[in-house]
Amino acid sequence: MRKGGRLARAGGLIAVVTLLASFASPRVECLAPGGPGSGWDFTCRTVGRLLQEIGIVDRPVQVINMPGGIGAVAFSHVAENRSRDAGLLVATSTVGITQIAQRRYPGDADRMRWVAMLGADIGVVLVRPDSPYRTLNDLFAALKADPTAVVTGGTSGAGGYDHLRLLLLARAAGMSTEELRRIRWVQFDGGTAVPQLIGGHVGVISLDIGEISGFVEAGQVRALGVLSDARLPPPFAALPTAREQGLDVVGINWRGFYTGGRVADAAYTAMVDSLNRLYESDKWQQAMRQHGLQAIWRGGPEFEAFVRQHIAQLRGLSQELGVIR
Amino acid sequence: MSDRIAGVALALLAAWYGWTAGEYQIDFADVVGPSAFPQVLAVPIGLLGLYIALRPDPSPGWPSGRHLLGQAMAVGLLVGYALLLVPVGFLPSTTVLAGALALLLGARPGPAAASGVMVSLGCYALFAWVLDLPLPPGALFAGPE
Amino acid sequence: MEILPALGQGFGVALEPQNLLLALIGCFAGTVIGALPGIGPTNGIAILIPLAFSLSLSPVAAMILLTSVYYGTMFGGRISSILLNIPGDAPAVMTCLDGYPMARQGRAADALAISAISSFLGGTLATIGLTLSAPLLAQAAIHFGPAEYFALYIMAVVAVSGVGSANPAKMLLSGLVGLALATIGLDPASGVPRYTFDSFELYDGIDFVVAAVGLFAISEFLLFIEQRGSGTEAKRLPVGRIGTAFHRMIYPMVTLRASLLGFIIGVLPGAGATMASFLSYTLEKRISDKEGTFGRGDPRGVAAPEAADNAAAGGNLVPMLTLGIPGSGTTAIMLGMLVTLNIQPGPLLFERQPELVWGLVASLYVSNVILLVLNIPLVGIFARLLTVPPRYLMPVIVVVSFMGVYTVSNSAFDLLLMAAFGVLGYGMRKMGFSLVPMVLGMLLGGPMEQSLRRALQASGGQVSILIASPLSIGLHLTTLGVVVLAIFLEIRRRRRLHRPVAPAEVA
Repeated sequence: MRKGGRLARAGGLIAVVTLLASFASPRVECLAPGGPGSGWDFTCRTVGRLLQEIGIVDRPVQVINMPGGIGAVAFSHVAENRSRDAGLLVATSTVGITQIAQRRYPGDADRMRWVAMLGADIGVVLVRPDSPYRTLNDLFAALKADPTAVVTGGTSGAGGYDHLRLLLLARAAGMSTEELRRIRWVQFDGGTAVPQLIGGHVGVISLDIGEISGFVEAGQVRALGVLSDARLPPPFAALPTAREQGLDVVGINWRGFYTGGRVADAAYTAMVDSLNRLYESDKWQQAMRQHGLQAIWRGGPEFEAFVRQHIAQLRGLSQELGVIR
Repeated sequence: MSDRIAGVALALLAAWYGWTAGEYQIDFADVVGPSAFPQVLAVPIGLLGLYIALRPDPSPGWPSGRHLLGQAMAVGLLVGYALLLVPVGFLPSTTVLAGALALLLGARPGPAAASGVMVSLGCYALFAWVLDLPLPPGALFAGPE
Repeated sequence: MEILPALGQGFGVALEPQNLLLALIGCFAGTVIGALPGIGPTNGIAILIPLAFSLSLSPVAAMILLTSVYYGTMFGGRISSILLNIPGDAPAVMTCLDGYPMARQGRAADALAISAISSFLGGTLATIGLTLSAPLLAQAAIHFGPAEYFALYIMAVVAVSGVGSANPAKMLLSGLVGLALATIGLDPASGVPRYTFDSFELYDGIDFVVAAVGLFAISEFLLFIEQRGSGTEAKRLPVGRIGTAFHRMIYPMVTLRASLLGFIIGVLPGAGATMASFLSYTLEKRISDKEGTFGRGDPRGVAAPEAADNAAAGGNLVPMLTLGIPGSGTTAIMLGMLVTLNIQPGPLLFERQPELVWGLVASLYVSNVILLVLNIPLVGIFARLLTVPPRYLMPVIVVVSFMGVYTVSNSAFDLLLMAAFGVLGYGMRKMGFSLVPMVLGMLLGGPMEQSLRRALQASGGQVSILIASPLSIGLHLTTLGVVVLAIFLEIRRRRRLHRPVAPAEVA
């Protein structure tokens, strides 16, 4: 009998603690589809921290890491279990969109509601300072003559976003699909691409400017062009855009959020508004500058449309190249 | 005998591994491709597997009876815990797991139950409160989505 | 040279009462978190970052807190390696090899103390190296291209496959299967999913912590059940206190060799600390293991990887501070933290933020001392953990390991995988397959394959690029030497009698 009593007491205690835990007011959750330290984790933690600092939420945002399949695991988790959950933001970016475009998620973009983008990292094409190429057109003239003339690389795999935006440039410069397919591409792990370029192990790299801006400022690498709409603010105001050089390509790696596909309109609008307030704050603008990102806003229906268009563009190129059938 | 079985199994696995690798193709921008490395690996794994099958070490003594049953139950508990953690929630499932493992290791029922409760509460405090990491609340108490 | 005055100023910063207190807190919190099975430095730091934010610390203070946590978790990880045979992170695997046998012989306190002292020496030597040569080394690391990295990875896998007294064929097999396991998941170069059975859970490959905790901890649990009541059961251990005089726990030559090796490998971005501890153990075994005591509780087998590991952590900071390249998961998080604090790491950091850099370097010296002072008295307390009867201790370990994995992945699948690795590890240990080469293979398989493919991609498929530089030729020749030695040893072993493999041989 004593045993039974102890067990019962234990069960009661568990129930009480669990109830206490579950009655606490619901916290906004940010689902990071990568592990601690990943880009999406960073997006969640920065946004979560600032949402509280600015007073948009009163309790700390709970960051949940759910790595797997470059976001596919989180995507399917939200689609299946949390499609109506109004307290959930899921971090995503151009990287995730590329996966959707190449049909590597369980479902298409219409399974989710796309909330907003708040900032973007800008694509850049870099060479060594002693490279013979001084403009993007120099580079593509050489590649047109011989697609294997120079080895290209970046931090995504073949068919990933770093690769695709370089190929978008090459196509704008008049190279044929067959020539595009012959350009050599080497994938490097995050952060190591620039030292490999400086060490002469690769000739050209295409990646985001944010984390490598120090090398550009120090003059250890030369930027042939940035892939933004217009020139970047200082210290990069001197870098020419691809558009100025006659190549109409914008390659930005934006950071934003989606939420479940069946979240009610009112809740969706409230999310967009909250993030817009965050975007308008000085703290957000400052955080973006610190990380070498550009604050760019697209929210609500406008963002939905942007995502669809972006996916269509990437899907078209991927099919053309044979990344997907 | 154990080595012979393991060696043959490894050789078969290696054959499957190398053969499957052939399906991984990418037809642009990649000289070596995703299939080469596994195919190269499959060869020495297969050969060494056969070598072990032909020149085996003496068999270790495998457990039987009570011990084997205990091990099977332990593995069963771990698998059950993994499957039930999310639906049932952290506290109940952890209490059961920790208590049952203690029982399995020879604790008497009373202390085993007490240690189960203590372990689950202690871990809950540590992970949920001190480290602020999310633990599954379980559908049982937290209600539907 | 202007290094000394700059360092002096740095000490001025590091020894401010507030910063000293932060270092103390960081070291302690790090030690405790690191000691939890399944939570290594990377996750420990990720967990504590919000704390640094909530205190709204200055950049220097925040970095001091995080580096002391970093060092603390590395030390704490050794506690679970030595006492429980559970490596908290990859480099701690080698500490299990001799640390755990020492604990089982009742010398847990000695092993912990040796680990503390060697860590201190390795960390301090590396910090001196960092102080003197950071910018220079950063430039040298640039010469390591894909071909050189490939040669290095090959050498590491082959060299470690020779560790241990068991059957070399099994060693090699274990390493090769580890490499094969590493190919599971999305291929980074092409984005093609391999061996995933169409399950997204496997797209990111097998997490190291899942495999290591399963292989080491769960298999230990199964072995324990088997031995229960059969006479060979582990008896309640005499933990006692440190049984060796302090000065006899210092192994000057071992530490020096290991620290040097560790620091050099740490400077190379990649699998730094892990490869350092693996290789230094291997090296030390080759040099000093005359009586065959390595793997059976030889203190030098604890001292070498511990010194190398901490030296590599210091070395890791070189590319992080000078190039802005994270050499490990941990430094990647610290880098992100730096950026958040409005510090742009990279080639200009030393010029633009000297007070931060030198304050940080000075705080490394301070953290090392704090950890030593803090941990020697704690050794007895930690060792006492072993007096908890296993029937209560083991369930705690299993639960904490499971939660450590679950909270960063939120994946029940990872828990199942961990149980499966436990069964695999049990079988391997029974049959004399060493676990260490498999773990190393899993860790290095990815970078090894990718560096090979990068090299060949850049050369357009010409294999000659692999031996195009003296550096890669030298590395390949070393590897060849190791293989020849292993074959020679195997032949000699076969000539002797077929000796039964000791059951439950550790790792």
